[in-house]
Amino acid sequence: MNRALPEMLHCLSGPGNGTDITVLERQRTRVKWQHQEQQNYFVGNFQDLVGDGRCGSVLRHVVTHSVKPDPGFEMNSTITRTSSCPHTEAQVAPEAKGKVSEPAEKMSSTVGRESYKKRKADKVQNTKVVAEDDAKDKRSKVCAEEGESKITTEQTRTKNTTTHPNNRETSADTSRENSKASEVQKPDYIHVRARRGQATDSHSLAERVRREKISERMKYLQDLVPGCNKVTGKAGMLDEIINYVQSLQRQVEFLSMKLATVNPRLDFNIEDLFAKEIFPACSANFPTIGSSSEMTNPAYLQINPAQQMVACCGLEMGVNTPDLMALRRTISAPVSLPETYFDASCFTQLQPPSTWDADLQNLFNLDSNQGRSISFPSQPFTGSIEASNLKMET
Amino acid sequence: MRSPSSLKQEFLKRWMRGLQRCTSSKKDMNVLERKKVIKLSADLAIASARNGTTSWSRALIANASRDNDNRILAERILGPESDILIKRVSTSVGTVSCNRKIRSKKILKRSCNSVRRVRKGTHLPQKVLAKSIAKRLVQKRTQILKRLVPGGEFMDELSLIEETLDYIAYLRAQVDVMRCIASATELINHD
Repeated sequence: MNRALPEMLHCLSGPGNGTDITVLERQRTRVKWQHQEQQNYFVGNFQDLVGDGRCGSVLRHVVTHSVKPDPGFEMNSTITRTSSCPHTEAQVAPEAKGKVSEPAEKMSSTVGRESYKKRKADKVQNTKVVAEDDAKDKRSKVCAEEGESKITTEQTRTKNTTTHPNNRETSADTSRENSKASEVQKPDYIHVRARRGQATDSHSLAERVRREKISERMKYLQDLVPGCNKVTGKAGMLDEIINYVQSLQRQVEFLSMKLATVNPRLDFNIEDLFAKEIFPACSANFPTIGSSSEMTNPAYLQINPAQQMVACCGLEMGVNTPDLMALRRTISAPVSLPETYFDASCFTQLQPPSTWDADLQNLFNLDSNQGRSISFPSQPFTGSIEASNLKMET
Repeated sequence: MRSPSSLKQEFLKRWMRGLQRCTSSKKDMNVLERKKVIKLSADLAIASARNGTTSWSRALIANASRDNDNRILAERILGPESDILIKRVSTSVGTVSCNRKIRSKKILKRSCNSVRRVRKGTHLPQKVLAKSIAKRLVQKRTQILKRLVPGGEFMDELSLIEETLDYIAYLRAQVDVMRCIASATELINHD
């Protein structure tokens, strides 16, 4: 079975360096080979191979032959890789083509490792085979350090160093290139499906999941921060976010200073403010948040406050006035003063906490009576999202 | 969890309450003191509204109660439930400082490894250079963001972005409410 791959590769390389073969044939051979190799777990081999420094060059050779046909059916950003292929090809061509059995074993061992069950959050106890633990950890470090750039690994591949970590990298590359989708069977772990042409190594899987999460969050941030739609890429968006947060903080400082100057005595006359109906004018100042349709993703339950806020902010505009009227009513209820100024002494007499809580409950009741859904903390969140969805549609 | 207007109302209520508690003692304060009081009470208001669920709110409260004179003010503003809140915050902050040491060690290790790796490569093609440059840019910006968001220095990227989202929502609510009250009081004073 170990000989199968080299035979296939010889077939591939037979008619003119693998360029003339159709993609389909290559695919077929690769699938066949993978099916064969998935049965095998080569424990000891890996250690032998790792210790052997000669594998590197031969492996590179084998890999480039399998890499070159890739542009046909690799969907992720490996196009850059292929552009660097001629470079590697030129370097690798003069190397010897011998020692086929060793790379075959190595590749089979890597493929065997691919079919391991993948766990998402567990990095240390990952492999079933104990002997591979160290290798995998070091490889994961390599992966983590180099990020997702397959190009850097290619680059290191082309260098003519046969050192230990280099071998590990090349083996990682082979596993990456020859991998296909594999499934996780073990219960009570998060199931992640490896995408085609990507590494099925658990560490890279976990990394990819993490990256997807981050990009999801960044999308929400994009909706929240105005002016972020025009910029793409992490750095630009982070720039916008930083500017926005800084500007908001500066505004808070400025406004607090302004309030300090306007109020000589730090007493705020809420009753009077409401009486003058000034807040409806303010509601026009409330920022309009644009498309919130993307935010109503029921799968995304974690960043509740921001999401719900953006989703409901469009609804809030027209309803602000009755809200504040309700607030005024509830505030004025316990305060039956003919005068318009709240003094500190008055407040302390009124036992604020209990009345405020009652008022807040009234507020919620009023709001729900008006037909809007405000999610109480005890309510399940999906219900509120659906309700807000309905609101948006009507 | 909360609609923006209810968040604003909650914030307003707590803020006013805190201010009332604070002004009962001193009658004469200069502008800067007043500003400090206003800002502090606003910060504590929203932080307590979150009730210690988010990391930045805890960090805010922790920062507020770090200096002694600030602490007295903060305790007064927070009112009767301040002890519980501050205790909760301090316990969480304690774990954060432990994490800080572990994280700094990890960061040191990682940076050493990456430096070693970079030195090995003598000639890097354009794309690798571009990618590393982009990465460095993103890292720099993440560091800046970590400094901006309170309590953000010891978080990984994912939670940092979550905290930023929450923090932005809070800042917006705060700015809106303060602006309204400022304009309203201005109008009143002009009349």
